[in-house]
Amino acid sequence: MNKRKYGFRGYIGSRAYDGISTPQHIQNQVIRDFCKTHQQTFLLSATEYAIPGCYIMLNTVVAELPKLNGMVMYSITMMPKNAAFRQRIYKAVQANAASLHFALENISAHASADFTALEDHITLNRVMEIPTVLKQP
Amino acid sequence: MDTVSLIPANEQQLGQSLIDTGRVIIDVEDKASLERIQAHIVDSAVSVLNCPMPDDAQTFLNTIHERICVEDLNDFRLRVYRAINEQSWLRPAYYALVSNALHTLIGNELAMQNRVNLSIQLPQDDSSLLPIHSDVWSGDSPYEAVVWLPLVNCFGRKSMYLAPPVANQALHDRLDEFADKTSDDLFYAIEKEAEFLKVDFGQIVIFNQALVHGNRINTVNETRWSMNCRFKGLTTPYADKRLGEFFSPITMRPMTRLGMAYKMHEGFPDE
Repeated sequence: MNKRKYGFRGYIGSRAYDGISTPQHIQNQVIRDFCKTHQQTFLLSATEYAIPGCYIMLNTVVAELPKLNGMVMYSITMMPKNAAFRQRIYKAVQANAASLHFALENISAHASADFTALEDHITLNRVMEIPTVLKQP
Repeated sequence: MDTVSLIPANEQQLGQSLIDTGRVIIDVEDKASLERIQAHIVDSAVSVLNCPMPDDAQTFLNTIHERICVEDLNDFRLRVYRAINEQSWLRPAYYALVSNALHTLIGNELAMQNRVNLSIQLPQDDSSLLPIHSDVWSGDSPYEAVVWLPLVNCFGRKSMYLAPPVANQALHDRLDEFADKTSDDLFYAIEKEAEFLKVDFGQIVIFNQALVHGNRINTVNETRWSMNCRFKGLTTPYADKRLGEFFSPITMRPMTRLGMAYKMHEGFPDE
């Protein structure tokens, strides 16, 4: 059956990620510009709940992927810290022939190799947090 | 002394209704402002669509899905939203719809959202739904109230829903159980209690946006048009939506101005 695909769903946050909080209308503007550049219909962003560690809205967008061409997160810093969770997202994106994008960093992932590179990027960012651990006596 | 006892009985009744049910639905206080807002929305839509001016505004708005498809909806909505928000009279007119009720429920020294939102929900459209949420979960302060204005008669799944306070609290208490779930699962948990608001054109809703709310697929064969805007006590705590960027003062009172301007004398030498 030929399933109908709508465009790119935005995904923005309402809490600080890696200590940085960005106004929601700015996040939406960056995503809107990204969609325009990639000639995709921008679908009203899902806004993640402010509760720390909560990804219910991310789960919701992942569940919606069969109807989407892709998901555009405002920033790569919004990806869950749990690696298994991230792998579930990558699998869902590929299984639905969709794509995953990060508007602020202008990073896109469609194929397996893209997701491997994406994991490198995320892991490197996490490694940069290690010095706080090294400070422990 | 119990300060609540100093509030007149009729105001206490309205306030208790907000506390008990999470919302109040009242007739707009300024019908001329309502008609002006609706007329401008229709004018803007006609301009964007390049179609003839309709005889009846409600019929035109209710049947807009016959003129616009889902793919073009957000762009259309944004153009109408920008056109109405460019009008300097919009915010005063919107405030005039509920000013007395807001004074009763919030106070008479208010901050108002800088832009008035516009929602358009076509029948059967599943692409632009507002998933269940509490605005407090999305960066708003629990001191804010939403003023929700339908531009057409709203009822059933054409309307928004709101969880009553008791059901909301029950969901709130076990929210972490939904860590691996979606917002649809949250909705199903309160579906039986959720109230789809019946609000006619000419009425307006003031609701507690800390309660979970949202919309579902509009199964009524009419398009919903509604506007919403947040109000809060000017000097109550702000969250992620801040003064300037999101809110601005609209009714700052003289004593607040005097208080802000006061400076303690600084000229004495240190002790």
